[in-house]
Amino acid sequence: MRRLFTLALVAVLTLGLVALPAQAEDVEIHVYQLKVEINEAITNFVKRYSENTPGVNVTVETLGGGADYGGTLRAKLQASQMPDIFMIEGKGGYDLWEEYILDMSDADWVKDTDLAYYSPEGKAVGFPIGIEGFGLGYNAEILEKAGIDPAELTTFSATKEAFELLDNMKEDLGLDNVVSVGTSVAGLWWVTSQHVFNAFYAGYLDYNDDSVYQATVKGDVDQERLTAFANYLKFLYDYSDPEILVNGTYDDQVAAFANGKTAFITQGNWTDPNFEQLGATFPRGFVSHNFLEEESTGLYIAAPSWFVVNAKASPERQKAAIDFLNHMALTEDGAKYIVEEAGMVPAFKSVKLVPKGDFSKALVEANARGGNFNWYFAQNPDGFNVNTLGPIFELLATGTVEDFVRDVTQAFKDLN
Amino acid sequence: MKRHRSVDILFMLPTLLAFGLVVLVPFGLGIYYSLTDWNGVSSNINLVGFKNFESMFREPQFIYSFLITLQYTAINVVFVNLVGFLLALLVTSQLKLRNFYRAGFFVPNLIGGLVLGYIWQFMFNNVLVDMGRTLGISWLATTLTGKPGTVIWAMSFVNTWQYAGYIMMIYVAAIQSIPASLMEAANVDGAGFFRRVRSILIPMVANAFTITIFLTLTTSFKQYDLNFALTGGRPALRFMEKGIKSSQLLAMDIYQTAMGNNKMNEAQAKAVVFFIILVVFSLIQVSINKRREVEA
Repeated sequence: MRRLFTLALVAVLTLGLVALPAQAEDVEIHVYQLKVEINEAITNFVKRYSENTPGVNVTVETLGGGADYGGTLRAKLQASQMPDIFMIEGKGGYDLWEEYILDMSDADWVKDTDLAYYSPEGKAVGFPIGIEGFGLGYNAEILEKAGIDPAELTTFSATKEAFELLDNMKEDLGLDNVVSVGTSVAGLWWVTSQHVFNAFYAGYLDYNDDSVYQATVKGDVDQERLTAFANYLKFLYDYSDPEILVNGTYDDQVAAFANGKTAFITQGNWTDPNFEQLGATFPRGFVSHNFLEEESTGLYIAAPSWFVVNAKASPERQKAAIDFLNHMALTEDGAKYIVEEAGMVPAFKSVKLVPKGDFSKALVEANARGGNFNWYFAQNPDGFNVNTLGPIFELLATGTVEDFVRDVTQAFKDLN
Repeated sequence: MKRHRSVDILFMLPTLLAFGLVVLVPFGLGIYYSLTDWNGVSSNINLVGFKNFESMFREPQFIYSFLITLQYTAINVVFVNLVGFLLALLVTSQLKLRNFYRAGFFVPNLIGGLVLGYIWQFMFNNVLVDMGRTLGISWLATTLTGKPGTVIWAMSFVNTWQYAGYIMMIYVAAIQSIPASLMEAANVDGAGFFRRVRSILIPMVANAFTITIFLTLTTSFKQYDLNFALTGGRPALRFMEKGIKSSQLLAMDIYQTAMGNNKMNEAQAKAVVFFIILVVFSLIQVSINKRREVEA
């Protein structure tokens, strides 16, 4: 009797063990992304997707702006918590994570965009999250009051005149400074050493002309062009708040412009949701970073980051991840998320919605108009923009144009 | 009763296993990676000898980080111990509410370094700057964490604020363990307060000095969280003809090399050097302090 009981018990327990994994479990997809400004929108979107898609549960984790995405991603890899969908920002990220990036050439979304990230072998691997762009952003209300037409700010001297005029009218217009710029190595280095400096790599060139950038990274830095750029950057610094310039954070920089305390800002269209949060309703637009006297209205537009799928995740997860991305790109629900909720400029042709942020609208217009410039800063070696260029760009705040030109030139020479 | 060696080892096994897995193995791997070209992700790893060790001593940022870490450690060892010791004297005196003060001085130590860093960043960048502007004190009107000359002192100040209470507790325990008869005897012999502190109290708490100086030395040398939250490495500075970050301590420099520049191999080499220097400094310090200890 007792033996029988024991046997029965063993049988029940064993069956229990076998039965457990047989239960259908939801496929968990973990998204890890660094665009803090779309955190709320994407969190709601994945919640909606998970509720409407039986058997799939998508979770999203966001890392704050300026924080170290690559470092935390590596920590996740070491901890065996590699996300199923993560982000790369160009060649540096692709080369580093190549082993973990899935070929999605056959996915449906690939046919609907020109901006997928392609591996050197021509495989579509990166899902463009949105089009982004930047320039010298302006507050149209303030410019109008001062009698400045932004359409005429097409050369360095025109921009200079406008800045001088605004500087003299600061009290009447309620301005603290003309432009909101930050370059702290601990906070806003990416604004100057990546975005503004991109004008040097790409400004005044055809969209696919990377000759200046290629020569620069090989150590052959055009001194005349760099000096012109340095004069322009120093000029921006001179008309900015010295505290925000060397100690400010993203919030400080954006708030100064949103509160109407500056007429210009060196930022991109990703700030649109911030302005909505801060209740800034004035119309906005972009002029080009004009560091030469040649006329130009082009903005700096590209798909700067891509979602990639973890090639070492299980096949079910990979399939569920691709389905999720297809949903984001090709459905109305996805378009609503990209354009209306996240306030991004869509990279997919089938999306008909127009973004509501003024900076984003300006990009759509610029994109239709043409004559824009590509992004190259993300192709620099890892850490070069922050650890090498970052301090040099901050030093210009207190230093001279000559030192800046020499340091930047030397920094690129040291790469070779 | 007869002791069995095998039983001893068996009892030690869980500890040995944990120690081996989380200390010895990573340490060995770290030394191995410092001799390779590993970038932190790739599965293709090649040995390159001592190349990583040679390159770091030509790097202005590393040299500067090294120098300011020494400076930061020296400032902290002096100030944290001085403040901690004075506070300990205060809260072991006949002061009213001394237990309240004891708890109060200890509380900052319970706040995490990151939180503390952000709170003090606000103090330095907003509160003090506004005070300086309003009162017309020019050296306060630009933030003290924004100048290469003062940023290390600002960090040391916050570290002292945080850590002195903890060190105070160690001194308090040591002072309380001094036999009361010694102090009374000195009192009867006519020794004043300062005489008693100098000739009895300090020699009697010499063993506490060994511990406190060791703790302040090692924690300052390894400082990261406060550094990250309070300054993030700023401001920029020109050093050896290169632009560098003037408040990036060694631990942060190692992190930046590994995670920012994706050079896990060079970061590991720096970490090995870091380890050796810390061990040497600690051993020298402990051996000097040990000579001064007296038995009650």
